Amino acid sequence: MTWSEQRGRTDLPMGREGANKHMSADRPQSRSFPWVRTIMAAGVVGALIVLGVQILDQELRGGESPLTPTGPRVPGAVFPTDPFEGKDVPQPINYSHKLHAGDLGINCLYCHTYARRSKVAGIPPTSKCMGCHTIVATADDGDKPEIEKLTTLWNDGQNPAWNKVNDVPDFVHFSHERHLQKFLFNNPDMDIQDSREVCAMCHGDMVEVGVAKKMRPLTMGFCNTCHENNDGPADCTRCHK
Amino acid sequence: MPSLLGNIFKGWTDYSKGNEEGGHHDYEHMYAMVIDLDLCTGCNACSTACYAENNLPVVGEDKFGARQAMHWMRIERYFDEPDVGESDTETQSRGASFLPMMCQHCNAAPCEPVCPVGATYHTLDGLNAQVYNRCIGSRYCANNCPFRVRYFNFYDTAESWPAPMEQQLNPDLSVRSKGVMEKCTMCIQRTRTGRDKAVREGRELQDGDIQTACQQTCPTSAILFGDLLDKNSAVSQIWKRQQIKLGTYKQDKDNPDLRGYRIFEELNVDSKVLYLERVREV
Amino acid sequence: MTTTKIDRRNFLKVLGLGGAGAALAGCDMPSYATLEEGEEQVFSYLAPEEYVIPGIGVWYASTCLQCPAGCGVHGRVREGRALKLEGNPKTKLNAGKLCQMGQAALQTHYNPDRITKPRVNGKDATWPEALAAINEKGGGNIVWLTGAISGHQRVLLDIHLKATGGGKHYAVETVNTKAWEAASADIIGDAHPNLHIDKARAVLSFNADFLGTWMSPVKFMTDYGRFRAAPRGVLTVVEPAMSLSGANADHWVAARPGSETAVALGVAHVLASKYGVTTTGLSVSTTDTIATMDASRVAALSGVDGATLSKIARTLVANSPSLVIADGHYDTAAAAQVLNLMLGNLGSTLTPSADLGAPHLTNIGGTTQALTAFAEDANAGAIDIAFITGVNPMFTAPYGLNMMDALDKIGTKVAITMFEDETTTACDVVLPLASPLEDWGTHVPAFGAGAGQIHIQQPLMEKLHADALGFGDILLGLAQDGGADGLDDFEDYYGYLRTAISALIGSDQEAAWNAVLQAGQTTAPTLERAFTINGDVTINVADTTAHGLTLVTTARQGLYDGRHANLPWLQEAPDQISKAVWDSWAEIHPKTATKIGVKDGDYVSIQSKGGSITTRVFIYKGVHPGTIAVPMGRGHSHYGRYATDVGVNPLNILDVDIDPRTGEINTDTTPVKVKATGDNRYLVRLMDTDKQYGRKLAATIPASQFHRTEGGA
Repeated sequence: MTWSEQRGRTDLPMGREGANKHMSADRPQSRSFPWVRTIMAAGVVGALIVLGVQILDQELRGGESPLTPTGPRVPGAVFPTDPFEGKDVPQPINYSHKLHAGDLGINCLYCHTYARRSKVAGIPPTSKCMGCHTIVATADDGDKPEIEKLTTLWNDGQNPAWNKVNDVPDFVHFSHERHLQKFLFNNPDMDIQDSREVCAMCHGDMVEVGVAKKMRPLTMGFCNTCHENNDGPADCTRCHK
Repeated sequence: MPSLLGNIFKGWTDYSKGNEEGGHHDYEHMYAMVIDLDLCTGCNACSTACYAENNLPVVGEDKFGARQAMHWMRIERYFDEPDVGESDTETQSRGASFLPMMCQHCNAAPCEPVCPVGATYHTLDGLNAQVYNRCIGSRYCANNCPFRVRYFNFYDTAESWPAPMEQQLNPDLSVRSKGVMEKCTMCIQRTRTGRDKAVREGRELQDGDIQTACQQTCPTSAILFGDLLDKNSAVSQIWKRQQIKLGTYKQDKDNPDLRGYRIFEELNVDSKVLYLERVREV
Repeated sequence: MTTTKIDRRNFLKVLGLGGAGAALAGCDMPSYATLEEGEEQVFSYLAPEEYVIPGIGVWYASTCLQCPAGCGVHGRVREGRALKLEGNPKTKLNAGKLCQMGQAALQTHYNPDRITKPRVNGKDATWPEALAAINEKGGGNIVWLTGAISGHQRVLLDIHLKATGGGKHYAVETVNTKAWEAASADIIGDAHPNLHIDKARAVLSFNADFLGTWMSPVKFMTDYGRFRAAPRGVLTVVEPAMSLSGANADHWVAARPGSETAVALGVAHVLASKYGVTTTGLSVSTTDTIATMDASRVAALSGVDGATLSKIARTLVANSPSLVIADGHYDTAAAAQVLNLMLGNLGSTLTPSADLGAPHLTNIGGTTQALTAFAEDANAGAIDIAFITGVNPMFTAPYGLNMMDALDKIGTKVAITMFEDETTTACDVVLPLASPLEDWGTHVPAFGAGAGQIHIQQPLMEKLHADALGFGDILLGLAQDGGADGLDDFEDYYGYLRTAISALIGSDQEAAWNAVLQAGQTTAPTLERAFTINGDVTINVADTTAHGLTLVTTARQGLYDGRHANLPWLQEAPDQISKAVWDSWAEIHPKTATKIGVKDGDYVSIQSKGGSITTRVFIYKGVHPGTIAVPMGRGHSHYGRYATDVGVNPLNILDVDIDPRTGEINTDTTPVKVKATGDNRYLVRLMDTDKQYGRKLAATIPASQFHRTEGGA
């Protein structure tokens, strides 16, 4: 008799008396609670599935990760490299990273000095630009409109109003200093000349762009993946104060 | 080893460790405080310093009356002193008793397990942390807090800072918006900066590297902040001298005259603020 | 037979299997991204100093001007904005600590109600127009009405007055120490003796709220911390209504307002008669005065019984050295100094101050005697041009001084101020003042800084409002315009100060100047002095028993004399005693409440000869039954969005009752009639209860227990 058929039967005694009756030798014991077997089977299958998921997850996260870096080379770092196509953000001056960081090979930290000591990497003060651009490639050259814009701002005592490209929400408190200390300054296998590799982990290789463009998603998942792979802190309040 | 079983085994070993062995965390620090009630004059400088440091909004008379003010640190004032004998003279025969009250950062915090989304948890510094962007505003944590030191943002607080007052806001921590819970963080922005500085300089954190805003401004130095795991810190020495131990609510002192105690000790919340009883010449 | 009904067991089965699948979704690489690109702006620096690193604050040393004490501060500045103030650890005065008024200085600076442009006759104008308006009515008697002023600002002010006909400088402070200074000068030959609370084993205060608003509260609080450490000092406070100092007293004694002198002399009587404390050094008449103040006479005058007097005397004798301080009335302060003489405290807890070798920089100190003199001179039509800054006489003066008429009779009134208040709106010309956080200056604390200390004030950031000028710059300009000699070389006050300080420190090198700025202070030579004792003290004992209910008004460390009512942090900071916020209250004793027939939250009208105020009662035992105490600070009719129409102002309804020995307006001698109005509304407070109901919250132990464990006895 099937379980549903049995339930339709009203002539079976219920309660203790019924249970005793059900427990009698002529009925298999499991009939009293016929769904036990099914539940146990489901439980075992479920546990196997959960275990399997964990194993799969573990493999995804550690070991041969499909996220093996193919981009920047930072010894000791494992990080996500998924690309991201950022918007074109207009800026008051069309500064070219390709020219300065690429062709001229200027170190990232030459301009974005504060990354070593501070939460923010910082937009360089205009005095840094003018340090070169009063001598080479000046506004007087006549064919450099961006430098003319820069020089005008400098002479008028105006602060350039840059539009933030690599920005995270206000409740995220990211510290450049901690990351550079770990991957660059306190990393015996890294030299400051190669700071570009470290910066590229989150900013992409800026020598490919002119005006700054966001080249990594900078989502919490992006940060968390890197933290998990590199023994970074998992404490919420590290970033969310 | 698949992480599920591995976690279970490791977790159980950790969890069954006593508090003295670090409990189920491997604490890096155990920030705690000592507040000497005999030195507290009730001047309220600490509370205002906290407003300045932590971007606390001013709510106005009506909301204050509805108990919706955001004073993370408040100074309570009592006139009764049962342990020195009640005074039934016509006028006060002695002064008042002031009690600075803020989040006690309980090691067994009743607010932590009840958050439906895990927005409050215990950090490896020993602090009870509140993650604003995770909070969904169930207010269960505030309900559970016996000290009543959790404050909910019932309203948007933008009008607390009419221009140019918003320029005073501290950028080192978030400005909370409507719908999230907040409370004293023992100036987490300062503790983290202080610790990062020590790490950068390649040395251990020393007592005095970090000062909370309330401690720094308190004119009588009634508030002390430090790391209980640092044997040399002032707070750990005072906790030791007062014979108050973490991880238990039965404090067996061999000298019953010692004036250190924790508030609501019997609730077994393992608070980390040690109060020193006020003294009265009678 | 099948059933389509999903019963509970089937449902659970389904859930058990399907649940595992949910674990696969993680937070890796979601398809959305944070949408912050291009949303915010960053303004990069042009040419910052080397030490300016965005993200890390720079600390500058300066001086707090929230009250006359003049504590040193360190201001944290990030990206050109002052964010937080702390005490300057290098300043001897406050040793790195700061009170809540100092903390709230940020709100004074960033206040949305600041005046940003000059005004002439109520309309916005330019600086040249404003200055022309001042010069329009010609010269005549030019005076300055200010608060306490010191340092080089005082120098320039004096120069200006001298160059413009030698007019008067009225320095007014409602909260002052004139009574103590006058009595100390007369009796021990030193108006500002150094007080060593940290060395005292007992402190007895008559009306001197040294932890709250008296003299230099932050300094005294830092000393108090040491006072209470083993061997623990004992604090006794005698006053008509509990102050912050009284709230920390081991023994608090309620005395009828104005009778503190009697209590002090009563204590002297007990010391002399019962404890054999000598009165040698005191004149016969003074000794006789003490002899007449027996316990019954004191009790009749003050309500303080003989047992309490004996207890106070016993405490002083058993805990030596002691320190007796007092204020409010000359006679009370004189009695306190007599007690100090008798107890031999001179030389231990009171030591001589040192005169500043540069007397023109010393603090002029404010009084209410100057307010009265100003009102009289103005009402007599004797003032043609008045420069008014740092004081609000319309708010602080009793109606009896006829301040409104007085101001009307002044030819041209020039307000130099950050805010519109009751006085500045009555002024013809209003000049916008830079805030203390944007300005240069030097300040010589009247008390407690240690010999010869000169505190430096420097800007923490660029001016918020381009048209506001610094006080020194305005003084310099006025002095130059007034024809003063020797100032033409200076373009601005910074130049003047730099020259002056360089002369003081004997070097004009950049490094030396920077060292002064970094320390926030420098020292000037001093002249030592010694006490000269004059034991012939005439003390008049007032009899205020006929007064009935007396209005007493005191300042609190918060709103102070009303100047900080426009700071929301301080309006929302609960009053230390009543825990009330955002409104005034009148403290009365439960007996008084029964007599008047009021309960908590009831409104009462308090009427004096001068006028009346209506506010809610706060009933507790910390006030003498003959007193109704309304702390000053609220009741502005015109002071910005946070202060206007909040609370009531007791200062205006005080009687103009002058202490004959000091010229000060008494704040505790005004008899009033108090009636319930019938209205009731809950007085908003941090807490309504003052009991712990058996919970061990703020626990207290007797001192004997403290002595057993921590020493001292």
